[in-house]
Amino acid sequence: MESAEDWLVESLRLYQDFHAFDLPGATRVLEWIGDKGVFVAGYEKLKKNEILHLTLPPRLSVKENQGLFPERDFKVCHGGFSDRSIFDLKHVPDTRLLVTSGLPGCYLQVWQIAEDSDVIEAVRTIAVHEKEGSLWPRIAIFSSVAPGVLHGARLSGLKVVDLESQKVTYTSGVSDSEELSSLQVLDADTFAFCCTSGRLGLVDTRQKWAPAENVSPSPGAGGGRWCAEVRGQGPGPSIASLCSDGLLCLLDPRDLCHPVRSVRCPVSTPSPDPELLRVTWAPGLDSCLAISGFDGTVQVYDVTSLDGMEGHVEPLFTHRGHVFLDDHGTGAAPLVTTHTWHPRKPRTLLSAASDASVHVWDWVDLRVSR
Amino acid sequence: MPEIRVTPLGAGQDVGRSCILVSIGGKNVMLDCGMHMGYNDDRRFPDFSYITRNGRLTDFLDCVIISHFHLDHCGALPYFSEMVGYDGPIYMTHPTQAICPILLEDYRKIAVDKKGEANFFTSQMIKDCMKKVVAVRLHQTVQVDEELQIKAYYAGHVLGAAMFQIKVGSESVVYTGDYNMTPDRHLGAAWIDKCRPNLLITESTYATTIRDSKRCRERDFLKKVHETVERGGKVLIPVFALGRAQELCILLETFWERMNLKAPIYFSTGLTEKANHYYKLFITWTNQKIRKTFVQRNMFEFKHIKAFDRAFADNPGPMVVFATPGMLHAGQSLQIFRKWAGNEKNMVIMPGYCVQGTVGHKILSGQRKLEMEGRQVLEIRMQVEYMSFSAHADAKGIMQLVGQAEPESVLLVHGEAKKMEFLKQKIEQEFRVSCYMPANGETVTLPTSPSIPVGISLGLLKREMAQGLLPDAKKPRLLHGTLIMKDSALKELGLAEHQLRFTCRVHLHDSRKEQETAARVYSHLKSLLKDHCVQHLPDGSVTVESILIQAAAHSEDPGTKVLLVSWTYQDEELGSYLTSLLKKGLPPAPSGGS
Repeated sequence: MESAEDWLVESLRLYQDFHAFDLPGATRVLEWIGDKGVFVAGYEKLKKNEILHLTLPPRLSVKENQGLFPERDFKVCHGGFSDRSIFDLKHVPDTRLLVTSGLPGCYLQVWQIAEDSDVIEAVRTIAVHEKEGSLWPRIAIFSSVAPGVLHGARLSGLKVVDLESQKVTYTSGVSDSEELSSLQVLDADTFAFCCTSGRLGLVDTRQKWAPAENVSPSPGAGGGRWCAEVRGQGPGPSIASLCSDGLLCLLDPRDLCHPVRSVRCPVSTPSPDPELLRVTWAPGLDSCLAISGFDGTVQVYDVTSLDGMEGHVEPLFTHRGHVFLDDHGTGAAPLVTTHTWHPRKPRTLLSAASDASVHVWDWVDLRVSR
Repeated sequence: MPEIRVTPLGAGQDVGRSCILVSIGGKNVMLDCGMHMGYNDDRRFPDFSYITRNGRLTDFLDCVIISHFHLDHCGALPYFSEMVGYDGPIYMTHPTQAICPILLEDYRKIAVDKKGEANFFTSQMIKDCMKKVVAVRLHQTVQVDEELQIKAYYAGHVLGAAMFQIKVGSESVVYTGDYNMTPDRHLGAAWIDKCRPNLLITESTYATTIRDSKRCRERDFLKKVHETVERGGKVLIPVFALGRAQELCILLETFWERMNLKAPIYFSTGLTEKANHYYKLFITWTNQKIRKTFVQRNMFEFKHIKAFDRAFADNPGPMVVFATPGMLHAGQSLQIFRKWAGNEKNMVIMPGYCVQGTVGHKILSGQRKLEMEGRQVLEIRMQVEYMSFSAHADAKGIMQLVGQAEPESVLLVHGEAKKMEFLKQKIEQEFRVSCYMPANGETVTLPTSPSIPVGISLGLLKREMAQGLLPDAKKPRLLHGTLIMKDSALKELGLAEHQLRFTCRVHLHDSRKEQETAARVYSHLKSLLKDHCVQHLPDGSVTVESILIQAAAHSEDPGTKVLLVSWTYQDEELGSYLTSLLKKGLPPAPSGGS
């Protein structure tokens, strides 16, 4: 394909490193284990899906003599089979356990990575008492000596379950049935939630339900679906929320009702599948975030360069690999299903698309003269 | 019990020494005969003593098959055939036959000259070994003997690489060697028909990987070359395989054109000389499509790529040079390397595995100081890049091939069983086949149910039909008869041969003792049957060829003797004749006897 060749030549300038892989099945999950491995999982209906633990090519991990490592391939370290579609997967830190959520059926599956072989086996389920047709519970892990799984499809169903004893250690106790779009554990006692309506909250599990939150949804809600992410550390507003109509808001946790900045991103709207919306903060760069879920691209923004108004914004970088390297040529262009930043390498991201491709790319900051 | 037995040879779990023994339908075939490149002693060779501790390999093995010219598949061949001893046929494709001896000789030179090894195979041994080679064409059914046939299929991977089907009667095994399912620019992808073998044997070294796309590898190559040339540096690319070199040349040429780059690209003379030779091999090997898009153009009709002159190496400014040999162990590539190694702006791109002892191997191990001849120390400041261009089948590729061939069972060699449990489950679930993963030296036995064609005599069929009911296509009918089997079928089924003997009694009037009757029979037959071997044995019995005649007294009538004439089914004709002869009676005894 001519345009693929053109794009590849362009890519010499745009990327330091670029790898492209074809998974056996598309994934909506990219979950890190350490900084050398990721989990992916299939989400097809009516078919056996695979959960794979992949190690990144060694050349991405070494600092020196990178040139002496010819291997550019992912290695399948462990694999398992799931009868259900998997929409979310979390690794329980410092253990060999995974928790997944999907459909059909509203329950969480716990998996164990075998020690002496390469198999990932289902070990038990965690019941979720909400009976929901097409909603699946979001999950986040409280990692500690006794890890707990935070889960829920709606605010009313939010619970923390002890992984070992299966006892419920926390429940939101509210009757509010707003649908959740994301959950994020912030520290040993607090977590953040984001509802599909755009309602955000920070919850302290030591207290009865009294989250710091925005009472009314952010402007521009009009039927759009929201997701959000809280940044670990760094200066400036630490919460980013994204709407399926392209609105990106930056918020300070001390005043969730008034976004510090709101901009409209140049994306094709509405997003064909708002459930795939994702916004992530770069762990290694002070003020960068990435968004995906509108089309076959991932866009990187520098938040300090965004205007205060809903003005004209341009991404710092756009990854178009999934669009140009689409070999399948049949039907719709691929849609990016998820993306994630490399924990250590500041400008390296992984992105996955609906055509089962996974890219590992290290973009060049063109503002910096080399 | 009919079965197929497979044993990967060699000690330990180490990869890198392909040699597999297959027993099928009573035939024994050795698949590949590779050298382990990591060892310097006997561990580099497969353990041939396993095959047969007594007895000659030539008698035991029906043939040897070599899948392609990589040393980990053919490196031990001269050792095996000339030093251990094997005189039977060795099958391989034409390009493999052409290239193997060159690589073996190169390797021998490095081992003996550079590393000073003793007890290595000699140049003459390589030549003698190659004399035993029978070259085969793709998709050509080759009859090794009456029962054993083999057929080669296109495997991609490198020039001349093939997958082989080995067939005895209705049982077959397919061995893949190394192959790849994603096409290269110059090689294309492996292909096999729905041959439904009992067993598919495939290498699984890369079975647990998911391969980075070819485009990204090419991109990486272009990026490295471009960056070096942009900063005024020189790029050296040592190559052996012409196909690979040409592929990279086309890549660079397209890129140079698009980016309007001016730095010169050169193709060294060593390559030029071999070019025509390989070109001819190539042209008959690749398929129509590749020939059209890739091979048709003249080797050196590149706009930007010119023939190299060694004086150019000293020219200032950036350039790219393709030179032989591929491991930097001698010749032009080493010369150029020595000139350019000291400048950090320069780069050498090693496109493949380098044998221990070569400069290529040393720099790929990270060595930055090399001792050259005359104790000169060379400091390496140039950038060293190791790029892997040859394609192997990854997990996806293996699944694709299994889907194409539709075997009853799959056997994975050269992987660690514990690290392939998931793949085993995947294959078993997806294709509903059994998947085996033997360690080196471990034998896998697959029971098979071979189908053996049976001919029925028309008379037998007619007799059955005469019994009334017409044959019903859905209902089986039981026939009674005598089944006669040839040796090979017996062997396949593991049955012992039965001997059918007929015994006939002939009564004679003779009141003499049995021994005398026997003696009369002997002299009578001796005089009549001049063309046959008639003998009188010490125990009194008479033999005509293998027919036995014994005289016994009649239990009730002392005046009658009973001749027991017995013969095997094979001697039916003679036996019947003898019987009728004897029934006519014996000539009167010469008078004067007792």
